[in-house]
Amino acid sequence: MDHVGPILAAAPVTLGVTAAIFVVGALLGVVLVTGRRSGNRVIRSTARTAIDVLRGLPPIVFLFIVFFGIGSGAIRLSPIEAAVIGLGLITAAHMAEIYRGSLLAVGPGQFEASQALGLSRTTTYLRVIGPQAIRVAVPSMITWAISLLKDSALVSTIGVAEIMSVTNQDARSSGSSLTPFVIAAIVYIALGTPLAFLSRFLERRLSLSVRS
Amino acid sequence: MNGVERPPGNPILRLEDVRKEFNGHVAADGVSLDVAAGQVVAIIGPSGSGKSTLLRCVNLLEVPDSGRITVDGQPTDAGGRVSTRDLMNLRRRVGMVFQSFNLFPHLTVLRNISLPQERVLGRTRADADARSMALLEQVGLAAKARAHPLRCSGGQQQRVAIARALALDPKIMLFDEPTSALDPELGLEVLSVMRELANEGMTMIVVTHEIHFAVDVADHLIVMADGRIIEQGGPKSVVNDPRVPRTRTFLSAIRDR
Repeated sequence: MDHVGPILAAAPVTLGVTAAIFVVGALLGVVLVTGRRSGNRVIRSTARTAIDVLRGLPPIVFLFIVFFGIGSGAIRLSPIEAAVIGLGLITAAHMAEIYRGSLLAVGPGQFEASQALGLSRTTTYLRVIGPQAIRVAVPSMITWAISLLKDSALVSTIGVAEIMSVTNQDARSSGSSLTPFVIAAIVYIALGTPLAFLSRFLERRLSLSVRS
Repeated sequence: MNGVERPPGNPILRLEDVRKEFNGHVAADGVSLDVAAGQVVAIIGPSGSGKSTLLRCVNLLEVPDSGRITVDGQPTDAGGRVSTRDLMNLRRRVGMVFQSFNLFPHLTVLRNISLPQERVLGRTRADADARSMALLEQVGLAAKARAHPLRCSGGQQQRVAIARALALDPKIMLFDEPTSALDPELGLEVLSVMRELANEGMTMIVVTHEIHFAVDVADHLIVMADGRIIEQGGPKSVVNDPRVPRTRTFLSAIRDR
């Protein structure tokens, strides 16, 4: 019986869901870190609480809350929508912390120089701080993306037909447990390895000290 | 105020009773000071005496707790809210050079100098670059235009930082220990650029430990301790004949280094 075919066919779903979660998380992370660094105390503590809660929850619990709790009530959410929203929010919280650390790594001197030159806040972030912070953030962001690729197996629990879900069905219907899961493992590794290489490449490429 | 000789005309910078406190430490304890256009003022004093804080109050990198700062006719009262527009106007007229250079490491030397001109003054890229190249020429670094700052020596970086500040055509230049992070030799090339600038008539306030520079270049020397001006006057007379014991102790400590 062919195990490889169906499992491989599910790979695009895993990749697509992972990419969607990552993009949502990376963008919402900007919103959260902006709130976290806001001058307004209420905004700041709201953002901090949201980040702490999202980071403190087991992802599967939050996923179930979004899908079974919220998604079956007034708003109907498809499994994929629930997956992207649920894991996207958790990713956003982690991204916010990655961004925050990266902004701190840029150091106060760059902010002061920008202020002293009379650059606006927007220009300071877009042209001075952002380009430096992103260099610090990218390796951690890719590390998170690799984890996400693996942890997306979680969304099989709410019925998204990705690698893990298809493998499970295959194992049940074929009665053979070892082979399908080993194949799934190989597919996950094959998908994740290029990301690891990309991370190392970008780390070297983006480093400021090596540039001439 | 201590019977100091004042050049005629309105001061381009006036500090009135400026006070700044950090967690119970008084960094500026009611400092008043007038600086005339074209004047070069050097500020010396032990670390923690408040000289950097005072300098940073001028362009509101530190907002004073009380007092008034008037730059080129534009007054700012501490305690009141400063609009973003006023803040931008103020900072455009005041250039600042930091001890740690603070060049933007991801931009070339040329972009470091051109970007603020485009963003703050609205110059076109071509105009900005032309001005940047002229300034790089002036500080002797035209050859480094395409290099990244981290490929430059500390002295070169500091000269680029001076060019970057000058590119916005400031009325006043503030220098916060511009040579303290540099080897003595590299410090000299920075000091010579500053000397040239002073000769061209730029109004400058220089926080420094370089007594020789202060004596040679400054018109007025201020000694600070504990957030106050403890002595001021002509640099030669202050250095050669200090009246306040605290000044004597500090000057001999610097000489013995």
